[in-house]
Amino acid sequence: MAAQYKTIHPVKYYRDFLAHDLRPDGRSPDKTRNVTVNVNSISTADGSSTVRIGNTTVICGIKAELGKPKPDEPECGFMVPNVELPPLCSPLFRPGPPSEEAQAMTCFVSQATSDMVDLKELCVSTDNLAWVLHIDMICLDYDGCVQDACLIALSAALRTVKLPKVEYDAETKLPSVSLDERADLHVKSSPVSTSFAVFDDEIILSDPTGEEENLSSAKLSVVTDGEVILSVHKPGGSALSETQLQDCISVAKDRANLVNELINVALSSVDR
Amino acid sequence: MADMSGQASGEDHKLRPFYCELNVLSRPDGSAIVTQGETAAIAGVYGPIEVKPNKIHIEKATVEGIYRPKSGLPCVSDRLCETTLQNTFEAAVLTSQYPRTLISISVQEMQDSGGLLACAINAGCLALMNSGLSMKFLVAAVHCMINKTGEVILDPDNKQLKDSCASLMFAFDNVDKNIVSSSTHGRFTEAQYQEALLRCRTASTEIFQLYRDMVKKYAPTMG
Repeated sequence: MAAQYKTIHPVKYYRDFLAHDLRPDGRSPDKTRNVTVNVNSISTADGSSTVRIGNTTVICGIKAELGKPKPDEPECGFMVPNVELPPLCSPLFRPGPPSEEAQAMTCFVSQATSDMVDLKELCVSTDNLAWVLHIDMICLDYDGCVQDACLIALSAALRTVKLPKVEYDAETKLPSVSLDERADLHVKSSPVSTSFAVFDDEIILSDPTGEEENLSSAKLSVVTDGEVILSVHKPGGSALSETQLQDCISVAKDRANLVNELINVALSSVDR
Repeated sequence: MADMSGQASGEDHKLRPFYCELNVLSRPDGSAIVTQGETAAIAGVYGPIEVKPNKIHIEKATVEGIYRPKSGLPCVSDRLCETTLQNTFEAAVLTSQYPRTLISISVQEMQDSGGLLACAINAGCLALMNSGLSMKFLVAAVHCMINKTGEVILDPDNKQLKDSCASLMFAFDNVDKNIVSSSTHGRFTEAQYQEALLRCRTASTEIFQLYRDMVKKYAPTMG
C-alpha cells in the first residue's frame, strides 16, 4: 500500500514522514549517509579510487601525460577534471555530448579543487614540458549528491598518484622517463563538499538521495577544508535565512572531518 | 539613460554607480540593460512561449536561462553561471501560473569588470519586471570581495579584484531579504562569510530602491 501511495503522491508521502522528523530511509533530516572509500581500484591508472555515498557510486581515475605548457603560464602543468554522467547511472541522462548538469558539475569540482596541487610542481621544464593530469570521474549510480562523491573520489585518487621521474634534455628536446623512480604528488588541501536539499521551502535535508533531490525546492553545496570555507554554492531555489545557512555550514564542517579521516584510513590500509 | 546613481550614504556600503534602462530591445517581451560601474549586461525575456515536449512541465512553466559571453560560444566554465541564473529566475517567477509553457531569459555580457554574475541577475530581474510576467518576489544580487587583510569590500572592480583572496556573490529576495543564491570563489572563514552576507544584504536594499524608482519612471509605458 505504501508503495502505491508513494507513486501517486510522493510529496505528501515525504511530508508524512518528515512530520515525525524522519525520512523514508530511516534517517533524521540532518543525518548523512554512510561513505565508503576504496583506493587504487584501477591498476592501469596512475591514481584511482571508488567512492560510495549510500547508493551513489563514483569511480575516479587519473592518467598522467606529458605535454607542453601554455605560453602564458610556462611554469605550470595542468589538472583537467571531467565528470561524466553516462546513461547507465540514471534515466535522466541520454547518450551523446555531456549534459548541462555534467558540465556544471565539472565546473563545480574544478573550482573546488583548483588549489589542491601546486601546478608549478607539475612542470618538468619551463616552457617545454609539464605533466597533464587527466582526472576522469564516472558516475555509475546516480542517487543524489554526486558532486560530493566526485570531490571525495578526486581527493582520494589524487593522493594515490605517483609520478615517474622525468628528465628533459634541452638539446635533443626529448624527455627521458624512468618508470622505476616514482614520487608522490604533494597535495596541499583536502576539500570536502556536503550537499543539502530544501524540502517544502523550510526543511533542510542533509545528504539527500536522488528522490529527495527531485522533490526539493532548492539545493545547496558547502565545500570546507578544516575551518576554512571554500565555497557556499546555492544556485537559486527557495530562499533561506542566514541561520539555516549557518546550520548547513556546521553540519558540513563536521562531516568534512569524518570524510577526511575515512580517506586517510583507506589510504593507509593499502600497500602503496 | 536614467540617472539612477546608487551612491550610498555612508562610506561603509558603497556600490558602484548603477544605471539601467528598460525596453531597449523591440522583439523580446521584456528587456533591460544594466551597468554597474564598468560592468554591463543586457537581458531579454521571451515568455510564455511554446515549450519543447521533452522539457514540458504539466503543472508549471519551464524557465530557461541563457548566458552568452562577450565573444565566442559559452564554454564549460560558463555553465555554472548559467545554472545559477536559471535557478534564480525560476525561484522568482510564479511558474505555476503559466503551466506547459517556456519562459526564456537570455543575458548577454557586454563588458566584465568585476561582478558580472550579479549584474546579469539584476538585468534579468529588471527584464522580467518589464515583461509583465507574474513574480513571487524580486531579486537583487550584490557582489563583494575579501581582500588579503580580511576586509570586506563591496562591489569591487577589476583593479580591486586583483588583490582579493575571495569573491562572493549573493542574491536576495525583496520580501524577507533571504538568500536566494550564493556563489563564491576562494578561501574564507565562516565569520568573513557572515560579515560579507550582512553587508551585501544592507546594500541590496539600495538596489531594491532603484527598482522601485525604475517602476515609477516607467510605469506609464509598462505593460
